[in-house]
Amino acid sequence: MIEVCRASLVYSDHGRDVFACREIDLEVRDGEFLGILGPSGSGKSSLLYLMSALKQPTSGEVRYQGRSLQAMSETERARLRLREFGFVFQYPYLLGYLSALENVVVACPGENRRDEAAGLLDSLGLGAKSHRLPHELSGGEKQRVCIARALLGGRACVFADEPTANLDHANGVAVVETLIDHRGKGGLVVVTHDPTMLERADRTVRIMDGRVVEAP
Amino acid sequence: MIVLAVMLIAGIVSIMNSIPLSIRTTYGYSQNYLGLTPRGNNAMTPVIRGVVEAESPVPLGPVMVCRASDMEVKSIVGPWRFIVLGLEQDDMPVYLDRLGGARRIDGRWPAPGRPEAIVSEPVARNLGLKLGDVMLSPDRPDSYSAQEVRVVGIAQMEPWMAIVPVEYHRANHFPPIDVLVVMAKDRADQDRLDRWAFDRFQGMQARVFAFFRLERETDEMFVILYSILNVVIGMLVIVITLMMAMLMNIYQSQRLQEFGLLQALGYTREWLLGRVLAETALVVVGGWIAGIGVAFGLLNVVRAVLMEPRAFMLDPQDPVAYVYTVPVPIAIFVASALTVVLRFRRFDPVGVVERRLV
Repeated sequence: MIEVCRASLVYSDHGRDVFACREIDLEVRDGEFLGILGPSGSGKSSLLYLMSALKQPTSGEVRYQGRSLQAMSETERARLRLREFGFVFQYPYLLGYLSALENVVVACPGENRRDEAAGLLDSLGLGAKSHRLPHELSGGEKQRVCIARALLGGRACVFADEPTANLDHANGVAVVETLIDHRGKGGLVVVTHDPTMLERADRTVRIMDGRVVEAP
Repeated sequence: MIVLAVMLIAGIVSIMNSIPLSIRTTYGYSQNYLGLTPRGNNAMTPVIRGVVEAESPVPLGPVMVCRASDMEVKSIVGPWRFIVLGLEQDDMPVYLDRLGGARRIDGRWPAPGRPEAIVSEPVARNLGLKLGDVMLSPDRPDSYSAQEVRVVGIAQMEPWMAIVPVEYHRANHFPPIDVLVVMAKDRADQDRLDRWAFDRFQGMQARVFAFFRLERETDEMFVILYSILNVVIGMLVIVITLMMAMLMNIYQSQRLQEFGLLQALGYTREWLLGRVLAETALVVVGGWIAGIGVAFGLLNVVRAVLMEPRAFMLDPQDPVAYVYTVPVPIAIFVASALTVVLRFRRFDPVGVVERRLV
């Protein structure tokens, strides 16, 4: 589904080139749960951004369904993210002026998916809190709203960037379990520094200094 | 901020405009007839009358020989001189009819030769006069008469006017010059007659009092004042625009997380930009409309409480006052839009979701 071919991501730090990713080859298959493991600063988040069309590689190529992401316009990449991908970020970003339910529906603008969103929140244990504003929810509850948002509409792939970093272990495990259980037939890419979160992953790759150092 | 700015500008312009409006209203009676006085030679009056009657380009209505002096009325910029006409008894109702007629006359007409006056309601209101009150007095240097002239009639009509019997005027007032009040037969021809007279009597021992001259002189008088007003309002618009642009910038900065999140989720930059600009337009237009409403309400209050009781003029519906406020929303929108566009041009949603930008 997603192919990363000798992709590098270089950024400039005070005039010095720093490799966030260095000539990475990787594939995410249909419906696969791929774990990306690595310490802080290893480049795992940068790799996720490359795969999810949030960033463009400095060199190499990233393809989705055989089509190069670099060949797409910015608008096409945005549309791809909106329609095919779901995102769960480290920080549970929600729009403060919208209820939990409305925050979920935000993922599918112009479509009437309120019932589906309500069902997702219900299945995530937030049915009774769907009309609450973000400041009325706990950190774990916010992250579950983010998960519902990422899953709404049946995504081809959900990308989760350190989704458990701000949660205690039990809540972290619950978040990953929720993602696995509710992703349907879609793929799942989870970036984390905690190997226990990836126990149910189909595959896990390790990243160190921008390189894949261990892949099955 | 926008509401206050619009209110401030509309208020300033409206109050400034009230001065020429007051001039045109207070002296508006002069659009109903042509005033002609001799210069330096009282014997010229019959000559002037002869010229007018012989050469007038329009059919003439009544031509009155009268006397004129002045008194003091109040305005928002201090005392103004106002004409006191000495008219023949028979001419008084004709004169009032020419000014549009009175809905009602409280009291009575001044008796011939008596120190009595009839004034219109705005004059009475301006000077706080009631029936029986003294209008001119030997004790008042600025509203002088040799005897106390009391108000015996108040005409309920809009134009300003004050009339005393011509016999009393001749006996007690200076200058001893007969003045002509010349009315075109058709009121629509009055302006044409006025302009003809102005040209015809140029260089003669005559002076022409005509409404078009009053308007022209008023406009010329206020040219510099309006230039200063334009500069002040221009500076006000610039200052308010800069402040609003800064506030909008701060507001948009506080929403960076929202924009970053939405862009990361897949909303296009153009969509977000369009939404932000639409919101900005809504705030700016809404603020402008609210400002117009507040200004209109406030000006009505000012008129009712401060102006009307003294017969001062203020037009809360003055379109010029509101047109002056139009640059405020436009400038604020343009400045805000530029700020937003510049911000979005270099905006990286990853920086937001990684919490580097928020």
